Amino acid sequence: MIPTTALRVLRAPRIPRATATLWISVVVLLMFVIAAAGAPLLAPYSPDAVDFAAINAGPSPAHWLGTDNLGRDLLSRTMWGGRTALIGPLAVVIGSTVVGMLLGLAAGWRGGWVDSVLARLFDVLFAFPSLLIAIMAVALFGKGLVAPVIAMCIAYAPYVARLTRALVQAERTRPYVSAYRVQGFGGPWIALHRVMPNITPVVGAQSALNFGYVLAELAGLSFLGLGVQPPTPDWGAMINEAQAGIVSGAFLPAIVPAVAVVLAVVAVNIVGEEMSDRIGGEVPA
Amino acid sequence: MTTILDVRGLTLTLPDGTELLHGISLHVDAGETVGLVGESGSGKSLTARTALGLWPEGAACGGSVTVDGREVIGSSETGILAIRRTAAAMIFQDPRAGINPMRTIGDHLTETLRLVEHRSAQEARARALELLAAVQLPDPEAHLTQFPHEFSGGMLQRVMIAGALTSSPRLLVCDEPTTALDVTTQAEIIQVLASQREARGMGMLFITHDLNLAASICDRVCVMQGGEVVEQGDARQVFFSPVQAYTQRLVAATPTVDVATDPTPSPPVGERAGVGRDETQSQARPRATAPTLALDVSGVCKTYLRRGKPPVQAVRDATLRIPRGGALGVVGESGSGKSTLARVVVGLEQADAGTIRIAGAESSRAPRGRTRRLARAKSVQMVFQDPYLSLDPRIPAGRAVEDVLHLHMSLSRADARRRVLELLDAVGLGERHAQARPKTLSGGQRQRVAIARAIAIEPEVLVMDEATSALDVSVQAQVLDLVASIRAERGLTVLFISHDLGVVRRVCDETVVMRRGEIVEHGPTEQLLRDPQHAYTQLLLDSVPRTA
Repeated sequence: MIPTTALRVLRAPRIPRATATLWISVVVLLMFVIAAAGAPLLAPYSPDAVDFAAINAGPSPAHWLGTDNLGRDLLSRTMWGGRTALIGPLAVVIGSTVVGMLLGLAAGWRGGWVDSVLARLFDVLFAFPSLLIAIMAVALFGKGLVAPVIAMCIAYAPYVARLTRALVQAERTRPYVSAYRVQGFGGPWIALHRVMPNITPVVGAQSALNFGYVLAELAGLSFLGLGVQPPTPDWGAMINEAQAGIVSGAFLPAIVPAVAVVLAVVAVNIVGEEMSDRIGGEVPA
Repeated sequence: MTTILDVRGLTLTLPDGTELLHGISLHVDAGETVGLVGESGSGKSLTARTALGLWPEGAACGGSVTVDGREVIGSSETGILAIRRTAAAMIFQDPRAGINPMRTIGDHLTETLRLVEHRSAQEARARALELLAAVQLPDPEAHLTQFPHEFSGGMLQRVMIAGALTSSPRLLVCDEPTTALDVTTQAEIIQVLASQREARGMGMLFITHDLNLAASICDRVCVMQGGEVVEQGDARQVFFSPVQAYTQRLVAATPTVDVATDPTPSPPVGERAGVGRDETQSQARPRATAPTLALDVSGVCKTYLRRGKPPVQAVRDATLRIPRGGALGVVGESGSGKSTLARVVVGLEQADAGTIRIAGAESSRAPRGRTRRLARAKSVQMVFQDPYLSLDPRIPAGRAVEDVLHLHMSLSRADARRRVLELLDAVGLGERHAQARPKTLSGGQRQRVAIARAIAIEPEVLVMDEATSALDVSVQAQVLDLVASIRAERGLTVLFISHDLGVVRRVCDETVVMRRGEIVEHGPTEQLLRDPQHAYTQLLLDSVPRTA
């Protein structure tokens, strides 16, 4: 009841110490972002420029990472491909976070039948793997990036919503919320203006982790030929196009985009984990 | 007499170089109780924990700490383990945090005996029964198979004491063992501790922030401040004739229920609250004076329905009246319904029956709709118990006050700012606090912000629900003074809810005592303390620790 004991002091002061892995991950991510954003300026070639003198060529001063079966520069294609590969997950993360937070806030704050209905809805959505929903969307609305992105926004929203709901329920019983009520503030105002900003960091960290999953899944979709369509450069689509070459011994066209996917996903996950760890430690006590 | 704990020149330095303890020296003899008194952050827990080798990770200790002749500082892990197993034991503030909720009381008590002393299951069980009987639990046999959640806080603390005694320690360190408990339960626990200390000839190091408690049970007392022992000596002497300025301040700030030792009555502010005196007053005064009542609660009931359990009657037929400018105290132990009453009055909960009138306006129902909500907020405001939780962690102090002003009045930004600074100034805070987030403010400062926020819209009635319980005594005294001065200046009506009779006495002219949802006694505070009528009030008063 009366916290007088010096337990706070007893906890050895945690010096925020960024590990080497974290910094490497951040640097890798920054490099991807710069390379993708600056592709028109930085890429040595146009992604579609064909060099018949070098087909399935290995690394050389002209083509640092070699070329694919049409003689296109792999470095340039990977940089351009990063644009579609990163923008898709970004859209999904933003979309699912906005939708999920609003639904979770409604469920956690109102409780009662709103909560019950939304909870059942989330349960149903959890039953479908996100990739399946994305493929269904493609089947219904045709190939491309737009349909799968919207589908995945819906598929990932329940994860965000469930976390938000739990956080809001915990927050709702805190005395500061009662204090706002006593001061005469209305429920919706407290929920949107006061409670939501307080839980956003935690939810945001969780959403950052989703970025990695979505990136891998969208790349998979493009690999299956359902997402980004050739000749638009995309990591997943590039691996798809390189399939034939593997048999004839040209590994590079598949390996380069594959490594890009793996590096990006791992880096995002490390940064996301670290973010949620740090924020998790300082959730308002 | 043998010395059980001997601390000499103890220093403790954190890895980042801050020295938390600056050369502590104290000792505990066999059969003696030594109190370690101080406010939060004074280093009293830290000092006591070193006896069991429980210092923060990476901290460097200097000086010497011996327990039963064995050195702790610089001792190996096994050496410290040996001391914990045989020589010293500790009881903590919150018994629930220190026990595995998934295991039975029997498991908890026999585990050490079987693993450390390699006793057989029967022997361990017999010893556990003996210990449970020693701490005066009613049914040791049955308790062995019960789980912690079936126990109340006081019973669980007894189990923890029994657990600490399994190793027959020479030294028992008690870290605020009764702080989380009601005053009547506290009295029982203290009695158990005292009898065990006597029977076993243990030395006891008793940490507390409560000077009254220390003075009532300790032989000697060490007063700590900022990692130093500022005064030590005979408990009565330290309490009655403190030498150091800090101790004098501490003693002065400590509320007491002793009517004889503190003859100065609380300053009468405004009219006296009239509780249950309607027999005499309603005749003396015509009905027309009724609107001068700031708060009129009559026959309020609140029952909580629980799924699968019998309903709880949190408040039963509560009736109280406070005239404008009066201050009424509501005293009771946990579960007495005093907080529920407060929540009903401010409209956070809906009463099942009865009427509430605030400044003559009907306010029985929880407010719905914007106009009603604002009207209710304007008529009654509340200061919550824990200022660490009742302020939004993200909102700076000034902004918190400003938001309320904007909600209730149409003020320009500049006007609102000016008003905020006035209000912060009124509660003793300055411009620099306006920008500060709650995290960077101390407990007392936070509670001042909460008070400024509550009086910003000049409510008729201010409800204070255990508003000073989470604060140190000296800070509590400052906040109580602040409340008194605000009352004097603004003629504010206060409903003051507390578990502490001494605190209520400093603020309120009239007091009601609640027990299990019912008001059992009411009357002028001084009279209630001097001559309690109801048996429960007497028990409550008798349980308050007093200097022997």
